[in-house]
Amino acid sequence: MSAGNGAAVRGRAAYLWALPPVALLALFFLYPLALVAQQSFQPDTGGTSLEPYADVLASAAFREALWTTVWLALAATAGCLVLGFALALVIAFVPFPGARAVARFVDVFLSFPSFLITLALLFVYGTVGMANGAWTDLTGDAEGPFRFLTTPWGVLLAEITYFTPFVMRPLLAAFSQLDTAQIEAAGSLGARAPRIVRQIILPEALPALAAGGSLVLVLCLNEFGIVLFTGAKGVTTLPTLVYGKAILESDYPGACVVAVVNVLISVGLYGLYRVVSRRARA
Amino acid sequence: MSGGGIRFDHVSVAYDGNTVLDALDLTVEPGEVMALLGPSGSGKTTALRAVAGFVRPASGRVFLGERDVTGLPPHRRGIGMVVQQYALFPHLRVEENVAFGLRARRVPRAETRDRVAEALDMTGMGAYARRHPRELSGGQQQRVAIARALAIRPGVLLLDEPLSALDAQLRSGMLAELARLHRELPDVSILYVTHDQVEALTLADRIAVMDQARLQACGTPQQLYRAPDNAFTASFVGNANLLPVTVRTDGALLGETELKLDTQGAAPGATATLCLRPHLVGLGDGPGPNRLTGTVGEIQWRGATHRLYVDVDVAGHRVMADVRELRDPPAHGDEVTLHFAPDDAVLLPAGVGAGEERR
Amino acid sequence: MWALFLLLFLPLFALPLLVVLGASFATHWSGVLPSGPTTAHYASATRGEALQALTTSLVTAVTASLIALAAGTWAALAAAELRKRHRKALDALFVLPLAVPSVVVGLATLVAFSQPPMLLNGTRWIVIIAHTVLVTAFAHQSVSAALTRLDPAYEQAAASLGASPAYVLWRVRLPLLLPSLTAAAGLCFALSMGELSATMMLYPPDWTPLPVLIYAATDRGALFTGSAVAAVLMAATLLVLLGVSRIRTRASYR
Repeated sequence: MSAGNGAAVRGRAAYLWALPPVALLALFFLYPLALVAQQSFQPDTGGTSLEPYADVLASAAFREALWTTVWLALAATAGCLVLGFALALVIAFVPFPGARAVARFVDVFLSFPSFLITLALLFVYGTVGMANGAWTDLTGDAEGPFRFLTTPWGVLLAEITYFTPFVMRPLLAAFSQLDTAQIEAAGSLGARAPRIVRQIILPEALPALAAGGSLVLVLCLNEFGIVLFTGAKGVTTLPTLVYGKAILESDYPGACVVAVVNVLISVGLYGLYRVVSRRARA
Repeated sequence: MSGGGIRFDHVSVAYDGNTVLDALDLTVEPGEVMALLGPSGSGKTTALRAVAGFVRPASGRVFLGERDVTGLPPHRRGIGMVVQQYALFPHLRVEENVAFGLRARRVPRAETRDRVAEALDMTGMGAYARRHPRELSGGQQQRVAIARALAIRPGVLLLDEPLSALDAQLRSGMLAELARLHRELPDVSILYVTHDQVEALTLADRIAVMDQARLQACGTPQQLYRAPDNAFTASFVGNANLLPVTVRTDGALLGETELKLDTQGAAPGATATLCLRPHLVGLGDGPGPNRLTGTVGEIQWRGATHRLYVDVDVAGHRVMADVRELRDPPAHGDEVTLHFAPDDAVLLPAGVGAGEERR
Repeated sequence: MWALFLLLFLPLFALPLLVVLGASFATHWSGVLPSGPTTAHYASATRGEALQALTTSLVTAVTASLIALAAGTWAALAAAELRKRHRKALDALFVLPLAVPSVVVGLATLVAFSQPPMLLNGTRWIVIIAHTVLVTAFAHQSVSAALTRLDPAYEQAAASLGASPAYVLWRVRLPLLLPSLTAAAGLCFALSMGELSATMMLYPPDWTPLPVLIYAATDRGALFTGSAVAAVLMAATLLVLLGVSRIRTRASYR
């Protein structure tokens, strides 16, 4: 009875209508992307070869950037999952006034650019920031102890802060569908909170956690603003390497090679995310 | 627009290889109310949607009057349709909803205004023209949906379970309302899909009973009620006791009990299903030849009547009897005798549904 | 639980925004709290270069959002009419820009439009193109999600009343989609306002959006001015989102 979809007659017209947007996408997205792939095989010396790949893959800078990108993304994802789960749990199950306001705040938070977080952290943990200021005021030392901001740890802190809401949103949606009667029944049977979380809430939340986690992983792999604002010197990830090679060094073939590698990793992971989140919804 | 009834000519519909409507042949005469009655999944809604143009038949033709509309898109068919959830456009006021079809057809402004007013008056919704659908009750939304369908002056009106979202009291009111509307619009053919026998019996000139993608029977309510063709129809149109019997020359054998009735030419010795309407079964010995004895399994007081479930001594069969309210009703386990007149029993071919109480 | 929640939530999420806001009014921050209150940063953040960056950002975001909304809606509507397999392929194609790092989108746009036949490098259009590509995916996703939630009974009722598919689209489906469309527009706008990575690859000197200006300020050590510009960015984004959500409530309560 649900078939038909308003138009029992689907024909060539439907495909004609799909053509213009696809053509636009091809012109402004697919074609440029193809050019990037093409240029990654064209070294400055001319001709077509694997030389740019050999150069880039052999360079220590690339390997370090790749490693930094991957571990930062993994660590940030893990952090977001733990923190996001805890926060979503509280918002969803501990009744308190303003829970709705918090949920709305999360939405607003998501609409701000990521680099704002790093900017704020500069004031909190920077060399002349809040934390160090408090330390010097208290101890009388000339300098505070917090100087991790320009290291990968600063990036990690910023990424966890910024991306945690991306985990919270699907979790909150999943929790809202959870039958509270089930939890109350478990509570009335004498199950304690940690046990309820482990045995009832966690299994229900797993699909949402998986979906949110893989989304955050992709976003962290591609994050640019946070890394750039940290001062960029100490930390290089694949996206900043693309920027550095293309804009600062004008090494386009090299930039294209890094871009291709970055795209392959993140598109692969994004495909995984789509599969996981579709299963989560089912 | 196109008066002149509906004709299904061998219409079959299949989804993903499942036949949901199997070679339907049915004609709705101009001005006739035809109820498509059946359980869910019987193909009745599919048949209606084939007329509206929302499903395309795998084979067969659909005619509106003399016009073959099988290949026509829905918006060229000129059909009025009301569905279960009304589907009033939430962003439009009541009058805009009713005017929708007229505007889509570019009917001149002044005429649109008149026809909207007329349709709203006819359904008693004139006072609500400026409201939005969400400001109306379920029954009022129902009326607006009908007014919207009538405003385009269709020759054919399709009603898909239109009352099933209303509560029982509103439903009987709306039934009377629909009957009145049909009297006011005698030329409009109505195809009324429902799973509720009361709606079908009340409203329809003829009922088409559907089950398992097939048309099981078609006739006037009286025909189907008094002389159903088969056990499914008997149990779906009104309540029925369906008992397995063996045909005799001048009656039938139920277990060990001899019954007198018109065998309608059934071959003696054959097995058949005896259809007995509960309200035609009496308590006590009665004047006629047919008696059944058994013990009272259950008794329900229903205000004006008592319903008795009597276990007769035939392989666990229960006979339902609706009798006028008893001053001194028998109790559970009491031995009772039931009777019925030979004319009130119908012999059906043994088959689907026999021996079961299906509603 | 409550206390734990506030302990985690406030420092992590609310503090950063408050800190930026606080810093934008300060001249020094060497203790726990900022010191030397001033509005001088705002004076400079709302004129000259910064004001131009604000208009640049607004124009870019509005243009990109509108084009993206149109293209994304068109694609979602067209996809809904296709067979299931083709529909999925089209949907996947249109979310692809989400998966590709935006730096790479920037690089690709730079590579493709720095050479004939389409020489757009150095113009504002190259920035707008990149932004549009980046946000179209979001527009398409929200619209196609809303489309699948749309009850087909409405369009069927409209069709049975004699409305042609075009009339149904214009008078029934689009009005019913309006709340989702405005939500998508707000999302696209906010994303474009804060877009930095692709923009950094592309912006010509005369088309500098706010995020680039904020980066430039912090890079040369003018943190407090940068904060003021950031606060302007947040305020502008919030104002537009607020306006959009008011339109949305009106649309859904009609």
